[in-house]
Amino acid sequence: MRQVTRRHALLTFGALTLAAACSTAEEKPTAAAKGAAMEGYGVGKTFKAPQQLTFPILHNIHPAYPVKDDWLFWSELAKRTNVKLQTTLIPFSDYDQKKGLLISAGQAPLIVPKMYPGQEVPYIASGVLLPVSDYVEQMPHFMDKVTKWQLQGDLDTLRQNDGKYYVLPGLHEKVWSDYSFAVRTDILQELGLQAPKTWDDFHAMLKAMKEKYPDEYPFSDRWGIPTPGGAFLQQLGNAYGTNAGWNFANGRPVFWDDAAQKFIFTGTMPQYKQVVEYAAALVKEGLMDPESFTQKDDAANAKFTSGKSFVISSNAQSLVNDYRKGLAENNPKATVVKIPVPVGPMGETRTGLRTENGIVLMAKAKDDPNFAALLQFVDWLFYSDEGQLFAKWGVEGVTYTKDASGKITPAKDVDMVGLNPGAPKHLQKDFGFGNGVFAYGGTTALLQSTFSEEELEFQNVMNARQNRPLPPPAPLDELEQEQATLWETPLKDHVQQNTLNFILGKRDLAEWDAYAKELEGKNLAAYVDLINKAHVRFKEKHG
Amino acid sequence: MVSRVRWVNATLLIGVVVVTLYPFFNIVARSFSAEKYIVSGQVNLWPKGFNLTTYQIVMSDPVFWINYRNTVVYTVVATAISMVVTTCYAYVLSKPHLRGRKVLIGVAVFTMFFSGGLIPQYVLISNLGLTNTIWSIVLPNAISVFNLLVMKTFFEGLPRELEEAAAIDGMNTYGILAKIVLPLSKAVLATMVLFYAVSFWNSWFPAFLYLDKIEMFPVTIYLRNLIAGATGAESAGANPDVHSEIMQVASNIQAVTIILTILPILMIYPFVQRFFVSGVMLGAVKG
Repeated sequence: MRQVTRRHALLTFGALTLAAACSTAEEKPTAAAKGAAMEGYGVGKTFKAPQQLTFPILHNIHPAYPVKDDWLFWSELAKRTNVKLQTTLIPFSDYDQKKGLLISAGQAPLIVPKMYPGQEVPYIASGVLLPVSDYVEQMPHFMDKVTKWQLQGDLDTLRQNDGKYYVLPGLHEKVWSDYSFAVRTDILQELGLQAPKTWDDFHAMLKAMKEKYPDEYPFSDRWGIPTPGGAFLQQLGNAYGTNAGWNFANGRPVFWDDAAQKFIFTGTMPQYKQVVEYAAALVKEGLMDPESFTQKDDAANAKFTSGKSFVISSNAQSLVNDYRKGLAENNPKATVVKIPVPVGPMGETRTGLRTENGIVLMAKAKDDPNFAALLQFVDWLFYSDEGQLFAKWGVEGVTYTKDASGKITPAKDVDMVGLNPGAPKHLQKDFGFGNGVFAYGGTTALLQSTFSEEELEFQNVMNARQNRPLPPPAPLDELEQEQATLWETPLKDHVQQNTLNFILGKRDLAEWDAYAKELEGKNLAAYVDLINKAHVRFKEKHG
Repeated sequence: MVSRVRWVNATLLIGVVVVTLYPFFNIVARSFSAEKYIVSGQVNLWPKGFNLTTYQIVMSDPVFWINYRNTVVYTVVATAISMVVTTCYAYVLSKPHLRGRKVLIGVAVFTMFFSGGLIPQYVLISNLGLTNTIWSIVLPNAISVFNLLVMKTFFEGLPRELEEAAAIDGMNTYGILAKIVLPLSKAVLATMVLFYAVSFWNSWFPAFLYLDKIEMFPVTIYLRNLIAGATGAESAGANPDVHSEIMQVASNIQAVTIILTILPILMIYPFVQRFFVSGVMLGAVKG
């Protein structure tokens, strides 16, 4: 069966749209056509088109709540805004693939949601995407949230070489921490221990568990495929002030050194070495299952729920759905909580973006007579408090109720993520609200409206931590990007391979310097230099 | 000596059978099990927490049946079209006296190695106005070159004298094909029907590319969405409030859908098996 590889898609569509690119790339953005725009639209106003409009949009078919034509979402949206959305449906499983194909072929609908930052880059050169940063002035709610929540730095990470950004991301009021560790509290009690606050406590806790249960590995982790130690090393890296695990795998292998005001290579940072040493010690002392880095999630879950291990990486969802459910079956006396992420040398701080995936608009939208209305509509639905509440919770009195303090409760006959288990109707399946296509980000209150009490406690602890500064943008042009990828891939592979070898004891940590040397031989200096030059250039050009 | 070889053979083959059948039986067992046992990894060959509710849930989803019907329709129509075109093409190619025969073979074989690429293909189909019609599924893959070559080899192996005799008796080319050649080619026809039917039954990619209406999807897309969607990128690093539902629908519904989807094609196999074996062998030996 044919697969679309990124290269494949790039090559073919590059050739196809070359002509189009030449003619559109140089055009200056003009004032948006007025068309059916709403007069006097602004912050706090509900968008309502003066005449009925239809906007085409890409939409996925979610296996848990497949699209239905009779969703209240559609009819209520039309009632409030006078806009009908015409959907192009794609199965959730292969959404990204077809999304890319439609954009490349120039046949994507005007609004394309669920675009993860970075995914838009291959399509920019051809000019099919709208440089939306040129038009955000016409989106009052978006601008309002960016100013109010001081999101400019987060948005800057999306800027391309031309100084513009193309994705309208979902905006969060605060960094959202979700991943941490699930710990068996009944074992802690048995050992007379408190939940660990620091990574040293974490080590000590595992040690105590091992002493009591010498035949088991107290910590057997999941989320190791495809990135070994993805979640665990990410948390550890954050605590030590570097990028490891998922953070390392999903981004560039460079770290912003705020003191020196330049990027340095992540895999050779002293902090990175500390992370590796910490993990290696856990494995060496028999506290962490060496299979943690290669086993499937199911295997790790089974060890945890059958009482063979006592600590495992967790998020809010897996705590309830995987661990509690499994433990209830095997060992009803077991209790488990998600502990606040242990603290390391960086103290009570955290890093993270407050932007998430979002939407892109097609460049052809600006030739649409109703372009101004389109911007207003997108602004209202995705960025106004009213629009976000609507997309997530639906219609007051029908799908939810709100008390005086603003606390939201689902209506009696409506279930939403187990908040009303057993109710005959479901907010997502039957009404189309809380749909990942339309509900992104929002205020912390809105985000937390679906959280349980214990998750709220976790959130409060995490939200009290200080956010560390974000790395500045250092976008590359096309040629540089190609060169960077050629260097980046072997560098990252080498770091990840050796990280695993060091941790598992297959390579002696005494060889760290030799490892750093090997990286030098893989164009490390040239790569870091390229990124730093791009950073300086961007700073000079765009401030 | 002989008996020892037999023993070794038997052990080896039983091993292969076990390795092949285990995943299948595991899926069957999962389909009858309660979700909690699957999550905690306790289901192997025998269902735990036996129940039929999952079957009821899946079978009560109207979309599943609409898509199922589509698969049947697509498979039947596509197989019929494929059989007609492939047979005609293969028969023509099997005649050594045909002028330009090598070019015609070349045209077919060329497509085995080169294709226009995904995006041009998509643009072509959509500019022809075929998207969101059954034709986008049944036409683009109507000829499988591999099947074409197998058939051509088979036709080449038929005794020429038969056709000559029929020609002398006054039959035209179409008559010869329909009344002499095809009745003698039941084995290869059955094999080809099976090959085509299975591949169309299993296919999802063209439907994924060219269709964007739920009511037109084949069941393979329904199934793929259920499985890949639940275990895909979004479940790692995802948004727990929006996506927690996924984990719950996952394993036993997946198993049931898999069973329901493969069942019909599985039941056809034993009946076509005898043609299948002789058909493939015939083509191969004579080739």
